[in-house]
Amino acid sequence: MELNWTPQQNMLLRMVGEFTNQEVAPYDMQIHADGHYPEGLLDKMIGTGFLGLMLPRQYGGADFDPEITAEVVRRMAQGNASAAVTLEGHYKTVEQIIKFGAQSLQDKYLPTATSHIFAFGMTESSGGSNPMGIQTTARKVGNHWVISGNKIMITNGGLATVYCVLAKTAPDELSVFVVDSSMPGFSFGKQEDFIGLRGVPVGEIVLDEVTVPADHLLSQQGDGMLVGDSAHDDARILMGAALTGIMEHALDVATDYANERKAIDVPIGHLQSIERKLADIAIGKETTKLLYQRAAALKVAGQSYSEEAAMAKAYGSRTAVSACDDALQVLAGYGYSREYPLAHLILDARAMEIAEGTVEKMRSAIAQSELNK
Amino acid sequence: MGGSRTRHWPHTARHLSTHHQARQIANGRPVVAILLEGDDDSFEQQLADYGPDEIIRVRDAKLKRASDRTMADVITALARAERPDSVLFAATPQGRSVAPRVQTQLTTGLTADCLDLRYDDNLLVAVKPSYGDNVMCEITCPQARPQMVSVRPNTFAAERVTNSQTVIRDGDVPVSASVGDTIIDEHVAVSTATGVNGARKVLSLGRGAASDQTVALARQIAAKLGASVGVSRPLTDRDDFSVEQQIGQSGNTIAPELLINVGISGATQYLVGIDQSKLIISVNRDDNAPIMAQSDYVYVGDADAFLKSLAKRLGIN
Amino acid sequence: MKIVVCIKQVPESNNVKFDPVTHNLVRSGTTGRINPFDKNAIEAALQLRDAIGGSVSVLTMGPPAATEALRDGLAMGADDGYLLSSRAFGGADTLATGYTVAAAINKIGGVDLTLFGRQAVDADTGQVGPITAELLGVPQATFVNKITPDATGGLTVQRDLDDRTQTVALTTPAVITVRSEINHPRYETPVNIQDSFTKTITTWTEQDLNLDPDRIGLAGSPTVVTKVYAPTPTQRATRPLTGTPDEAVDQLIAQLQRQNLI
Repeated sequence: MELNWTPQQNMLLRMVGEFTNQEVAPYDMQIHADGHYPEGLLDKMIGTGFLGLMLPRQYGGADFDPEITAEVVRRMAQGNASAAVTLEGHYKTVEQIIKFGAQSLQDKYLPTATSHIFAFGMTESSGGSNPMGIQTTARKVGNHWVISGNKIMITNGGLATVYCVLAKTAPDELSVFVVDSSMPGFSFGKQEDFIGLRGVPVGEIVLDEVTVPADHLLSQQGDGMLVGDSAHDDARILMGAALTGIMEHALDVATDYANERKAIDVPIGHLQSIERKLADIAIGKETTKLLYQRAAALKVAGQSYSEEAAMAKAYGSRTAVSACDDALQVLAGYGYSREYPLAHLILDARAMEIAEGTVEKMRSAIAQSELNK
Repeated sequence: MGGSRTRHWPHTARHLSTHHQARQIANGRPVVAILLEGDDDSFEQQLADYGPDEIIRVRDAKLKRASDRTMADVITALARAERPDSVLFAATPQGRSVAPRVQTQLTTGLTADCLDLRYDDNLLVAVKPSYGDNVMCEITCPQARPQMVSVRPNTFAAERVTNSQTVIRDGDVPVSASVGDTIIDEHVAVSTATGVNGARKVLSLGRGAASDQTVALARQIAAKLGASVGVSRPLTDRDDFSVEQQIGQSGNTIAPELLINVGISGATQYLVGIDQSKLIISVNRDDNAPIMAQSDYVYVGDADAFLKSLAKRLGIN
Repeated sequence: MKIVVCIKQVPESNNVKFDPVTHNLVRSGTTGRINPFDKNAIEAALQLRDAIGGSVSVLTMGPPAATEALRDGLAMGADDGYLLSSRAFGGADTLATGYTVAAAINKIGGVDLTLFGRQAVDADTGQVGPITAELLGVPQATFVNKITPDATGGLTVQRDLDDRTQTVALTTPAVITVRSEINHPRYETPVNIQDSFTKTITTWTEQDLNLDPDRIGLAGSPTVVTKVYAPTPTQRATRPLTGTPDEAVDQLIAQLQRQNLI
């Protein structure tokens, strides 16, 4: 049973379902094998208006809310998790520009957000989980900021044209700036070769004295952690949604197989050992769905959703890995074969135990939040 | 209406199975074939071999490449003059385009794309599939006349009769030139892999034979056998197949001499679509698949392995 | 060019079932969707509008719920919609439907082109297009897989009649029914979905269209559905091909040779 969506939202979800079934799902195996999207898929996603889903109307967007945005990501992930995560990386970045960007900056970049992919660069090779360890700096020169440094492992890195980057504006002060790939001093670096989510380009950008106007600073100077945390929170809801979609995909494959495959005379779906696995997968995906939908509902209601978003991602990622593993076991030898998607579904889900804050960091944040209540 | 002057009117010489069907259900009623042909055509004898009691021929240069509207006007005029009880069309694209215009001019009922016909007394009962062949409907036209139907090609095999005593006469109706719908070019469709409809042999693929390699191998085998490649519903999602190759979806009933089903389980609409095939071979992993009971020969096993063996046997590398 | 696309709302799925006791049709799922073949007609209309200008309206006959199908068309990019809805239209067969649709086309006025999909996936007749053309007194091109506007305001179209293809010079006003190969229908976009709820949908009844009560709905329908049932294909005397794939193929080839099929 579905939630009580408006007619507009229902129509949107139906369209996304059709799009996923016809344009995305058929390429799921191929995307993993090739390590990139098939020719034309991104153009189709852009042409169908996915990038402008949550963008305000005045910038050419459709102004759908965060709850429905998460549902779109979930449905996309049922077809292919990479496509869902490319949208996730774009949405979370655009959202921070909407939340924290000066009017002049929004007017400059948001109209391009319907046709160009955006990305958020935080990680550096030296940074790890300590943001203060980053090397990228921004110094004020007159009415401009001059930014230098390298950002690695950016979701959509190399594909995106507009980037939010976290930089040090003082030894103990972080700020977020918007740069674009056409600026002098901007170049692309190394692309990662990851084991999962292989459609998503993940890469490095190199900023060598990139000069941006003052209004490219998001929020206030020194608000880097505020903006970065907000991006994490928004991303984690969408990751919970993507993980739910992955589990739904795995459950589909497993139930299809369990209905068809027979042991002696009965379909294996009637064996208790198989039933238990199918039930666990189903419970896992429903629980994750409840977590991300609750975080999204809190967000729409204007309440704090940081802890719930962290739970959706922390719980969802570990649960999805184990659910896909259970599904693989249901198919046994076939599950282990490259002919079936379960191996790559495990690897796709596994990425989300790391990206947007590791599970360990998530747990620590949730625990601290509980300790301080 | 009705009685001994009841007439059946299959139109167009191209679809002889319709004539045969008219003869089968006529039960003493005269069967009259309508033949529209160009001034240098002569399809009469070909048509007579299938045994109508009478052929009404309208021969005119303007009928060489006539528009739907021109044909509809001619047939309507003949119907008004001859007052037939029932009119049958072949449910070809042409028949399905002309018949509704005739129906409209005559303000009567038309049942499209029938799979079977019979008379209950003088009421023509048309059996028509709906919901993509998942449902059968019986439809009648109790009041208005003539009773019009279009009959799906290949649902009945055309049979020649010997010693036909067909009377041929010319229909005296005006033929107007096409205005606003001029056919400026016409050519016989190149028989590529597209059509399964009139194919003598068909190799048909389903969900269990959907990989790129399997499809490629099946195409080679089909070429070697001189067969068209058909598909069941799931394969129409592929870029290289469409509903045009789909068997058992409205319009695509097949009646080949040989049908080989590979990896097809046999949804109802598919089974209806292949019912008229002469020899049916099916290859499927599941020996309980519905397709199996409707096949003459079955092989229970892996589709790929079977196709590879078949390819090898046919000398394909 | 002023274009009207006639569409139909059909059940979500064709996987119908029969109640084993009552033998009545059980439709799975309650929601409707736009007939998929009609999306090809809408796409053809939008491409024509984009190429030579004009407007695209979508029109349907059905209960108020058929508004959903019109919204789908609007979300693909059509400009406005017409819903022909009245209890008196209930039970219409193709002739009564064509009569009602033709009257609406006339009332809209100045329509250059009326487009239809090849057939509806539920009733599978494909008749309403030609019936409407006859009632409008205009030429038609059916089973069309290509439409090219020409310099004089007419259209050059290609018809695929299975055994042959035709190129037809069509003057407007005209009726065209399109095959599904003509195009890949665009998806509704999120922006168009939002906009579709602010576009105008005009509802007309038999009074608005000034229709003859004897020619609409059940009264205007010469045909009657007398029975609905599940098809039963013929069972055959199945013989197995046995052994390894190679052995089975040998048995098959022997059969084919015996029957002169190879």
